[in-house]
Amino acid sequence: MPNDNKTPLSKRWRWFLIAASVVAALLIGGGIFTWNKFFREEPQVFATPEAQFKYGSLGAEGDRGIPYFLWLVLPRVFPDLLPGPGGYKSFGLVWEQGEELPVGFSKKVVGFARVTNNCAICHTATYRLREDELPHTVVAAPAHSNNLQEMLRFLFKAAHDPRFNSDTIMNEIRLVSGNQYGNGGLTFIDRQIYRYLLIPLTRRALLEQEKTFTWMERYVGDKKPKPPWGPGRDDAMNLTKYFMTSMKEDNTVGPTDFPSIWNLGIRSGKDKAGKQMLLNWTGDTPAVRSVLIDSALGLGAPPRPWFLQRMADLDAYLSNLPPPAWPFTEHPINAPLADEGKKIYLRDCASCHEPRGEYTNKVIPLKEIDTDPERTYSWSKAAAEEANRRVKEMGIDRPPMTELDPYGYLSPPLDGIWLRAPYLHNGSVPTLRDLLNPPEQRPVTFHRGYDVFDPVKVGFKEPEPRPTGPNGELKDRFFLHDTRVQAEGNKGHLWGTKLSDDDKNKLLEYLKTL
Amino acid sequence: MADDPELTGLVKRAAWRWRVVLLVAVAVVTLVSLYFIARFTRDAAVVYADPEEHFKYGSLGGERESGIPYWIWKVLPKVFPEYLPGKKYEPGKEYASLGFLYEGDKDLPVGVSRRNTQGIDRVFVNCAACHAGSVREAPGKTRVIYAGMPSNTVDLEGFQKFIFACAGDPRFTADRLLPEIEAIGGDYDPINTFLMRFYAIPFMRERLLMLKDRFRFIEWEPDQGPGRTDTFNPAKTLISYPLEKLETREIVGLCDLPSVWLQGPRRDRNMQLHWDGNQPKMEERNKNASFGTGAFPPTIDLKQLQRIEDWLTSKEPPKYPFQKNEELVAKGKPLYEQHCASCHGLNGRDFSGAHVGKVTPIEDIKTDRHRLDSFTYELASTLNTIYTGYPWRFRHFHKTFGYANSPLDGVWLRAPYLHNGSVPTLRDLLNPASQRPKVFYRGYDVFDQEKLGFVSEEAKFTGDGRSIAEPNDPHHYFKFETEEKPGGSTPRDCNEGNSNAGHEGNAYGTELSDAQKEAIVEYLKTF
Repeated sequence: MPNDNKTPLSKRWRWFLIAASVVAALLIGGGIFTWNKFFREEPQVFATPEAQFKYGSLGAEGDRGIPYFLWLVLPRVFPDLLPGPGGYKSFGLVWEQGEELPVGFSKKVVGFARVTNNCAICHTATYRLREDELPHTVVAAPAHSNNLQEMLRFLFKAAHDPRFNSDTIMNEIRLVSGNQYGNGGLTFIDRQIYRYLLIPLTRRALLEQEKTFTWMERYVGDKKPKPPWGPGRDDAMNLTKYFMTSMKEDNTVGPTDFPSIWNLGIRSGKDKAGKQMLLNWTGDTPAVRSVLIDSALGLGAPPRPWFLQRMADLDAYLSNLPPPAWPFTEHPINAPLADEGKKIYLRDCASCHEPRGEYTNKVIPLKEIDTDPERTYSWSKAAAEEANRRVKEMGIDRPPMTELDPYGYLSPPLDGIWLRAPYLHNGSVPTLRDLLNPPEQRPVTFHRGYDVFDPVKVGFKEPEPRPTGPNGELKDRFFLHDTRVQAEGNKGHLWGTKLSDDDKNKLLEYLKTL
Repeated sequence: MADDPELTGLVKRAAWRWRVVLLVAVAVVTLVSLYFIARFTRDAAVVYADPEEHFKYGSLGGERESGIPYWIWKVLPKVFPEYLPGKKYEPGKEYASLGFLYEGDKDLPVGVSRRNTQGIDRVFVNCAACHAGSVREAPGKTRVIYAGMPSNTVDLEGFQKFIFACAGDPRFTADRLLPEIEAIGGDYDPINTFLMRFYAIPFMRERLLMLKDRFRFIEWEPDQGPGRTDTFNPAKTLISYPLEKLETREIVGLCDLPSVWLQGPRRDRNMQLHWDGNQPKMEERNKNASFGTGAFPPTIDLKQLQRIEDWLTSKEPPKYPFQKNEELVAKGKPLYEQHCASCHGLNGRDFSGAHVGKVTPIEDIKTDRHRLDSFTYELASTLNTIYTGYPWRFRHFHKTFGYANSPLDGVWLRAPYLHNGSVPTLRDLLNPASQRPKVFYRGYDVFDQEKLGFVSEEAKFTGDGRSIAEPNDPHHYFKFETEEKPGGSTPRDCNEGNSNAGHEGNAYGTELSDAQKEAIVEYLKTF
C-alpha cells in the first residue's frame, strides 16, 4: 500500500523535474540567444589612432545605432529623397576609397552590427587642387563639405515614407546579403530579427528623434522655415540647448562653422599671463575635455567609464595632433614674402591669434569684433547652468561650461588656417583674402561644400554650375550661402582690412605657413 | 456489452482500420510534401566538365533570380518577331539576328546558360555573351568561334530592347504565350503550367517593365551596337542612383568589350583592370562583371565562377591563323619594341614594361573621355560596399583620371580598337585621328588581313548596313559614326562618346612612315 502511494508521487516529481528542466533550458537558451543577438559586443580593432578617430565608435550604439544593413540600403530604397547620386556620399561626406563606411561613421557589433557617428563626421575634410585629382583627407579639419542637416532630414523623411516597411526594405537587404544558396550573408534568423524587430523599431526611434529636432526647421510663431545649416556647419549651441536642457524652443539661429580640432594642446589651460583660455565660438567652455564630452553626448554616447576613457584618449590624441602644413608644391610659399608678412602678423594679429596671447582664446566683445551677432543669442547663462546640472546628474565630472551670457566671439589661434575656410564663426567669408577686404567688398553670395582649393585667395574655389541630367540643364550642385539672410552676415572683423594690397599679400603668404 | 467478444473484435478492427488509414494519409502527405520541397528547392545547373564549354554554356547562378523560363526564351521570338532586328522567327536560331552565335545543333546560343530552379528550367546570359566572338576568313567561309575574345557580333542593347518590348506588349500574357509554347514543343506539366500562368509570366512582365524603367539611361546615350556595352551606368541604376540628377558628362559609359584570356599574368602584375584602370583586383573585377549575368551576392555560383576564373588565368589567345610575312614581322619587332612595348608589353605573352597595366592620364592619351567620366568617385564609394558582410567585400574600386595601358595578347581578335571601339583596325589606329575612318560598320565577322580588324569600310556595305559581298546575308550591320553632332539635346542626339581621337602623335606611332606602320601591324599578328 505505501508503495502504491509513493509511485504516483515520484512520477509527479519526475514530471515536475522534466518540466522544470525544459523551462530552465529554454530560459538559458533564450538568454544566450538574446545576449548573442542583441547585447554581445565585439571590440573594434584599429591599426592607428587616426583610423580609430575616423571609424571608431564612441559607444552610442544603444541610443543612436542604426542597424547596419538597414543603414546600407536606405539610399537605395529612397533615392528620390537624396540630394543627388552617390548614396550617402551625396551629403558631401568624406568617403575614403576602399572603406566600407564614410569617415565619421562606425560599424560596431552590439548583438548585431550597428552604425553610429563619431567626431570625425564634423571634423575631417578633403581638399584637392583640381577636379581631376583624388581628394586628400585631413583628420581633425573642419568637415566643410558635409551636410549633416540634410542627412538628418533624409532619415526623418524616410521614416515617414510608406516605403519604410519591412517588405520593401528586406527585399533590398536580401539582394545585398541573402543566404539562399549557401554563399553566407544574413541567416534566416537574422533576417527575421531585421524584419520583425529592427526595421519597425528603428523607424519608431527615428520618428521619436525627429521630434527633438523640430526647432531646427521652423520659427516659433509664424512657422516659416529657418535658414538651413548648409554643409560644414551645424547650430552647435541650439543643439546643446535642446538636448541638455528643457528650455522652450526659441527663434535664435546659431550657425556654427565646424572648427578644426587638431593641436588642442595650445588651446588648453591658461595663457601666458595665467588667464583661463576658452573654447567654442562664443567661449562657452573653458576646457577641451568638456567640449569633447558635450559633443560626444550630443552624438548619443552614454557616460560609461569606457566612454570617459575614450574621451581621455581622444583628448591626448587631438592635443598633440599637428595642423597640416601647406601641401601645394605647385604653389610654394614665397619665403621672403612670408617673412615680411610675419612682421605684419606680429604687429596687427598676434595679440588675438598667437597661441596663449593676451586676447587669444578669449571672447572679443561684439561691439569690437562686430561680426554677425545672431550666434551669441542662441546660448545663455540659464542654458549653461541647466546643462552643467544635467551633466553632473549623469555622474560626469567635467569642468562646467561658462555661466555667463555670451557677449562676443572667440579669437582662436590660426594653426592650419589655410584649411579652415570659409571663415568667421558662421563661415560667411569664403577665403582669407576676402576676409582681408572690408565687408562691403566681401562676396554677398558664394557656394559652400566644394573641395577644390584656391591656393591664391586661400579657401575653396567657387564651383561652376554643371550640365545635369539627359538634357544638360545647368544646375548648382552646392549650397548657396547668402550673407543677407538672418545669422549669415559677413560683416565685422575689420582688422587687416585697411592694409595696402601689398601688405595683404605679404600677410596672406605668412598665414599659409601657420 | 463491454464483454461481448464479437463487439470488442469489431471495435479493435475498426481502430486498426483507422490506424492504417491514418498511417497511409500521413505517408502520402509526407511524400507529397517531400516531392514539393524537392521540386521547389531544386537548383540544378547544367554543368559542363570542360571549362571552355562551361564558359560558353554554363551557369554562374544568374538564372536563380534573373532567369527567363526556357520556353519563354524560345517562344518570344515566335510571338514577337517584329521586335527582332531580323523581323523573322528562325526556329533553332531564334536570337541570331541579334548577333548571338549558334554552334552546331545546340538549342541555346553561345553565352546563354541553363539551370533548373524551383522546378522550372531557366536561362540567362553568361560571360561568353560578351566574351566570345566569331571570325570568317572570307565571305561564304565557315565561322570560327573563339572563347575569350571580345564579342564582335552580339548586340546586348538590342537584346535588352527586344525583351523590354515584348514585356511591354499587351500580348505578353499567359493566355497567349502558353499555347504558343505548347505548339513549339513546350512540355510544362500541370504544376508548372499553373505556376507559369499565375506567377511566372505576370511576375516576369512586371520585373522586365521595372528594369526597362531603370535602364532608361540607354535612351540618353548613343546606341551601343554589337560588341559594346555600358559597364557602370547599369551599376548606378541597380543601386538606385537618381538618374535624372546625374551630371550629363557621366551619362555616356559606352565601351568596347575586352578579351578575357591570360588573366593570370595581369593578376600577378597587379594591373589596373577595366578600361579606366579602376580595379586592380581580378577577383573583384570578375564578381563585378558577373552582375551582368544576373549573379548577385545571394545568387552567385561561386564554385562555377572559380572554375572559369581558373581557366581564364592561363587560357591563351588563339594563334593568328592566316598568312604572315615573316620578313615584315622581323622588321616590325624592333619598331614595336621601340614605340609600343613600354606601355603594351614586350610581346603577346611577356607583359613586362614600365607602364603596362598602369593608367595614362587623359591629358596625355586624349581619347574620348566619356567612359572615364562615367565612373565617378561616388560610384567607387558605393561599389566598395558591395558584398559587404562577406569576406570578399569589394575594396579596390577607385577613381582614376585616365585610361589603362593594356597588354596586347591576341590583339588581332580585339578589333575595333580603343576603349570605345571607335577605330576599326590596327592599321587605322596607327594613323592620326584625322585620317581614321569617320564612318564604318561593326558586327560583320569577315577578317581584314591587311589592316587587322574586321571588314568595316563604308564602301563594303549598303546604306542600310547590308554586306555587298554577301547579298544573301539578311543582317543589317551597325553603322558607327565617330563625329559629334552639335545642337542636340541629349548626349544621344549629339552622338557623344564615339570620338576616335587620341592615342596619337609621336609617342603613339602615328607619325611613323607607312612602311614602318605596316611592319608593326605585321608583327602584331604574332601576338
